[in-house]
Amino acid sequence: MKRVLAVILVLTLVLAGIALGQIRITFWHAMSGARLQAIEDLVNGFNAENPDIRVEAMFTGTYAETITKAVANYRAGNPPHIVQVYEVGLQTMLDSGAIYPVYEIAGPDYDWGDVIGPISSYYTVDGLLYSMPFNSSTAILYYNKDIFEKAGLDPKKPPTTFQELYDYSMQIINSGAAPGGVSFGWPAWIFEQMHAYHNQFYANNDNGRSALATEVLFNGEFGVKVMAEWIKWAQDGVFVYGGREYSANQAFLTGQVAMLIQSTSSVASIERAADFEVGTTFLPRLPGYPIGNSVIGGATLWVMKGHSDEVYDAIWRFLQYTMRTDVTKQWHKDTGYFPATNTAVKELLDEGWFSENPNHLTAFLQILTGTRGEAAQGVRLGNFVAIRDVVDSAVERAVQYRGTDYEKEAKRILDDAVRTSNRLLSEYISLYGQ
Amino acid sequence: MQTRFTNRFLPYLLLSPSVAIVVIFLVIPTIQSLYLSFFRISPFGDRKIYVGLSNFSKLFESEAYWNSLIITLIFALAVVAIGISLAVVLASFLNLKLRGMTTVRVLMIWTYAISPALAGTIWALMFDPSSGPLVYIVRQLFGVRLNWMMSGNIALVAIIIAASWKMLGYNIIFFLAGLQMIPDELLEAASIDGASPVRRFFRITLPLLSPTTFFLLIMNTLYAFFQVFGLIDVMTRGGPGDATEVLIYKLYRDGFVTMDTGYASAQSVVLFVFVAILTVLQFKYAERRVFYG
Repeated sequence: MKRVLAVILVLTLVLAGIALGQIRITFWHAMSGARLQAIEDLVNGFNAENPDIRVEAMFTGTYAETITKAVANYRAGNPPHIVQVYEVGLQTMLDSGAIYPVYEIAGPDYDWGDVIGPISSYYTVDGLLYSMPFNSSTAILYYNKDIFEKAGLDPKKPPTTFQELYDYSMQIINSGAAPGGVSFGWPAWIFEQMHAYHNQFYANNDNGRSALATEVLFNGEFGVKVMAEWIKWAQDGVFVYGGREYSANQAFLTGQVAMLIQSTSSVASIERAADFEVGTTFLPRLPGYPIGNSVIGGATLWVMKGHSDEVYDAIWRFLQYTMRTDVTKQWHKDTGYFPATNTAVKELLDEGWFSENPNHLTAFLQILTGTRGEAAQGVRLGNFVAIRDVVDSAVERAVQYRGTDYEKEAKRILDDAVRTSNRLLSEYISLYGQ
Repeated sequence: MQTRFTNRFLPYLLLSPSVAIVVIFLVIPTIQSLYLSFFRISPFGDRKIYVGLSNFSKLFESEAYWNSLIITLIFALAVVAIGISLAVVLASFLNLKLRGMTTVRVLMIWTYAISPALAGTIWALMFDPSSGPLVYIVRQLFGVRLNWMMSGNIALVAIIIAASWKMLGYNIIFFLAGLQMIPDELLEAASIDGASPVRRFFRITLPLLSPTTFFLLIMNTLYAFFQVFGLIDVMTRGGPGDATEVLIYKLYRDGFVTMDTGYASAQSVVLFVFVAILTVLQFKYAERRVFYG
């Protein structure tokens, strides 16, 4: 008995020694599916190289659940060190008073110049980066080349306009090649994408970038037009609604739909899971509207305040690690998210990665071929998490419509959503001031 | 049957843990939500504005809230009606003395032991628009493609089925217990008088089960109002649109997704009134001194 106690005592001391010497960093993230393995590989790689630091990555549910948990734990006085927050949470995190901005951790001499242009411009606020760019994506169109072939379509000519997407889908459905045309992931985000892609403002005050937005503008002529098209697609069986996040992928992978508008972060997992040839291309356009650009989505890493300098040093080492060329390259290959730096892009190019994996290139080309129009920057809103939810509900209401006056119904639904969203914006401003 | 405590403080000491739990987990949070319902609070809790009753006026002016209330009533009514009527029929069959009945009983009862998340996942798979077996069967039989993600009505039906199914085991246990309390002589006498099985069921079994039925009515209503969060979160998340956004789910969404703590607190106060009414009903019922279980 005494010996057992002695062994336990020694073990405890040893473990305590290790624990004392090691800095533990908690890192909460929302990476599910194939992304989960990729992020665990990344963290394990860091831990192996840095025996004095232990980053503990924890999957905390969807993006919305992750930010909610971080907030709840912050209020309870027990926040994680690093939390992954999606682009929608940007304004909330900026105003939270709960964060330690990454540009401060990095110090004034750190050169951010290597971060890919569209990513840094999306996340830069007043010339500064408050969070670490980590997993950035945009939306692209995926299509099933086998179904295209079966329907008598040219698999080298995917649709480029809304009308083509509709016509091709009808041909696919009528030929029996697939029961549905297209499905979306993240419907409200796609709706935002459509605005930026056609250089249309989603909210006032330059999409909330020159000052906090006080009104959203998506019930304008353009928003109504897009929503009316989607209603038409849904009624004719072209658009098969597929949930708010990644459940649409299942419909695409099982051949229920021929096309999918989804985040680039699904490229790797779709290519791996598909038993058909996957093609990718730019988002479809509505002719007659100006050319903008698709917007950055995904998430960045936020550091919470209230820790010691020693801990922040460790956090900064981890954040720099995520941006290291070989690490961010692997992250891109495992998932389909953009690598964070231009150096990584060049190396991928030199290695021939893009010529072997053209679907990993599509998003780059789409972003590079767009304009840098004022409305193409993407929107920043207070209470954006809630507004996303409102727009998701609006899309879900729209696709259920069974009447014939698409434009009127689209207008009615969007007016409703705008009213709710504007109230959310005014509540936000009442809390934080203009 | 009264026992006297030798120390007059001992009973209070023995009661104190339960009292402490009730105070810490019920009384204090209730007072807190009442207090918070008068404020608008920032997500991280660092800013707080007193807004009086405006959270409540916003609530009752909100079309979404009334819509949610109506959905909740439809949902609760359906879950209670289906859950109880199906359970009483099934329990009557399970009460027959046949070989292997114990196994069948266990199979019927175990749905109650399944966690809401698991039950939700099972039914989400059953109704999956592209690969769900139920969707497939309906398509083969009627040529209709069910897509609960694109039809609020189908989604509502789906969560009603799932929620009733989940509660079925619980209801069956109580009905079985109730049925076994009914003296055989009564049924035999009726049988000798020439009453058909159906008549015996409606004239003897059902009236004698009424205390159990009433108890289950209350329990199922409480369940339908307050305990379906997990199921809905896994299955529909209140969608499509807000077709399945029952009150408890709306509260969650406003409180934890929108992070509008004040507004969610106001909703919880209103919900508290519902609980209060239901509890009063329950107490009235308990006074009838019904034996259950």
